[in-house]
Amino acid sequence: MTMTSGEAIALALGSNRSLHWRNPTVTTVLMLTLDHLTKRYGTLTALDDISLTIKPGEFFGLLGPNGAGKSTLMSLVAGLRAPEAGRITLNGKPLSVAEASSRAGLGLVPQSVALYPELSADQNLRIFGELYGLHGTLLKTRIDEALVAVQLADRRHDQVKTFSGGMQRRLNLVAALLHRPKLLLCDEPTVGIDPQSRNAIFDFLEARAREGLTVIYSTHYMEEATRLCSRIAIIDHGRILALGTLDELLAQLPFEEEIRFPAREETLALAAQLPAWGEFITADGVHRFRPRADCKLSEFFALTESLGLPPRLFTSQRPTLEALFLHLTGRNLRE
Amino acid sequence: MRIILTLLRKDFSHVLRDKAALSLTFIVPLVLIYVFGQIFGANRTDSGPTGIPLAVVNASGNPAAAQLVDALKAEKSFRVLTKYVNSDQTERPLTEADLRPMMRGNDFRFALVIPADLVRETEFGLHLKILSNPRNEVETQLINGLLQKTIFSNVPQLLGQSLQAQARRYIGASRLEKFNRSMAENVARNFGGDPERIFSDIQKGQWNLGSSVGSAGGGTTDFFSRVVRIEQEQVIGKEVKSPMATRSVGGWAMQFLLFALTASAASLFYEKQQGLFQRLLSSPVTRAHILWSKFLYGVCLGLVQLVVLFVAGRFMFGIEVEHHLGLLVLVCGFAAAACTSFGMLLAAISPSPEAARGLGTMLILTMSAIGGAWFPISIMPELMQHLSKLTLVYWSMEGFQQVLWANATLGELCPTLGILAAMTAATMALALWCFNRGKLFD
Ligand SMILES: Nc1ncnc2c1ncn2[C@@H]1O[C@H](COP(=O)(O)OP(=O)(O)OP(=O)(O)O)[C@@H](O)[C@H]1O
Ligand SMILES: [Mg+2]
Repeated sequence: MTMTSGEAIALALGSNRSLHWRNPTVTTVLMLTLDHLTKRYGTLTALDDISLTIKPGEFFGLLGPNGAGKSTLMSLVAGLRAPEAGRITLNGKPLSVAEASSRAGLGLVPQSVALYPELSADQNLRIFGELYGLHGTLLKTRIDEALVAVQLADRRHDQVKTFSGGMQRRLNLVAALLHRPKLLLCDEPTVGIDPQSRNAIFDFLEARAREGLTVIYSTHYMEEATRLCSRIAIIDHGRILALGTLDELLAQLPFEEEIRFPAREETLALAAQLPAWGEFITADGVHRFRPRADCKLSEFFALTESLGLPPRLFTSQRPTLEALFLHLTGRNLRE
Repeated sequence: MRIILTLLRKDFSHVLRDKAALSLTFIVPLVLIYVFGQIFGANRTDSGPTGIPLAVVNASGNPAAAQLVDALKAEKSFRVLTKYVNSDQTERPLTEADLRPMMRGNDFRFALVIPADLVRETEFGLHLKILSNPRNEVETQLINGLLQKTIFSNVPQLLGQSLQAQARRYIGASRLEKFNRSMAENVARNFGGDPERIFSDIQKGQWNLGSSVGSAGGGTTDFFSRVVRIEQEQVIGKEVKSPMATRSVGGWAMQFLLFALTASAASLFYEKQQGLFQRLLSSPVTRAHILWSKFLYGVCLGLVQLVVLFVAGRFMFGIEVEHHLGLLVLVCGFAAAACTSFGMLLAAISPSPEAARGLGTMLILTMSAIGGAWFPISIMPELMQHLSKLTLVYWSMEGFQQVLWANATLGELCPTLGILAAMTAATMALALWCFNRGKLFD
């Protein structure tokens, strides 16, 4: 295998000799590549031939419902599990489960809170920092910064088990950032966090991303993916269904507008006619209608009036990732 | 190493944070050694059981029979019952007819009947009857042994009477007298004493010739013990102040340690449930780091607990730890390492903490029994005695005994420590192998 100069530099990332990856000369270097990854648990295929390239500085979203394979993908990248097929390279260097040093530039925020509940926030951070070789005043300042960032500075000496669920999640997040990883794997980090704290976390992560952190962020909230992620992969049943920037993804939806109305007795007659006018899907007791481009909305509303249906039954929406997921799978994202 | 030390410090912060766990770490060995000590009477310098009820019915008028009863009464292992208490609180001597119902009523489990025909005219020998309810094998053997010992030390006199009676029947009184006289002269010539007194003793069947045979010890030295002289010498452990406790403390310690360290190894499951392995293993930490840090923690914990245990043993039962402190700590370290590796293997092969606990309890009890923590290995079948040497309990106890009982030097201790180290290494290797394949880190 030949290596470009960019790859060679990228290879050195994480070591002291390395150039910072935001150095303009290395911005085109591929940071993380997943190459035909397959992961099975017994007979269940959790990841099915996944190929992805994540570029430095990217805020990459993994959007998918429960059991889609998001956490599995994270665990492979974090070196917790080995794939049955395919390989992962980080800065051109194969990532192996056995090699601990290859994980030094990596931070994982596990989906479940992974902290020592008996120990204080301070002690927890100290341990995780030390495992990455931090010590002394550097470690102390990093811990101070982290606790301030997630508004836990005043609780630093309390045992983690006395924290609320949301506080634990906030600590769980910053515990993965003490060593300033180059790549952060966030596995649904905001579950159970109140809106203010969630926004604080988003701001915090966005700030880190602006400083150059590469993030892989898994979620089943399309709002989070929409707000945070520069590129998004929609995955389901271990496969990537769609991949691109938000605009690229939404462009895959054939319609600009979507009209929704409740699936009821009185709307039956309308529902029977609409498939001829465009795409028509029913889910969760709601009809969704996306008129073909040549279809005139005026004709649609004329029809509803003739059927005696009041306008308040109808809502029209901008296309969303949720709609895209529905379009791709025929299911809702949070089924 | 830095990573292992960080993880090790984490375990210590953990136990320091957890006041309950911390105090248990110290209190449990203290309570344990106290309770065990009381159960086994470790404060006594002599050994053996005391106060076992023994009913004695003496239907014989023979003075030697009364002497036997007195001897049994003097034996501290027995509490001799000779009286039957009526419902009006008056007492009468026990009769043989009382014994069986009383044994059924669990008043006692052993009874000795000295029948009227203790020494029979018609045959040579003595007639005694022992009734027992052998509910407990060890106890029964022990009691029978004690009874036999007490009876046999009183038998010469009775046998002498029986012998004289038989001789008189077969060879006639005058010829017996002649025989006895020549015996007496022989005895007097060889052992000293007045031939007339010896003759009259023999005539009465008194072979307890101590008083008539001139000797410095006087009446207490009996004739037979001069004929067969057994010299006893305790070669090892003579200077040990608290033999009972010193002998058994190793066994208690091992059992306790195995339970404590298995529990500590099972805390790996707890960390797994907390999802902590995900965080640790996604950092530069490897599985081996986690396991070795747990191992070191177990060894430190075990060492501290053993030292607490022995120091408590020092103050409660006078086990002399201070003379051998260095070597004792060394053995403690090796024993703790062996126990920890056992706990790690257990955690490695168990699918869940519950399974580890169940399997652990079973293995620990088996190993303690086979290894000799409960009863002496010498009473086990031979196969078991060989199996015993495969357990870490055996070798750890051996180490403790060598230090505390036999005053062993470091050189003498080396083979035992070597075996413990080899066991630890083999067990850890197996544990690591299992961990790398097992589900614990999945
Ligand atoms: N340790 C495991 N053993 C067996 N099957 C597993 C294991 N972990 C995950 N799976 C299965 O693999 C599939 C993908 O699971 P994964 O946890 O990756 O999904 P996810 O996208 O993270 O879901 P969620 O949003 O619920 O976290 C699921 O069908 C799950 O049942
Ligand atoms: Mg998940």
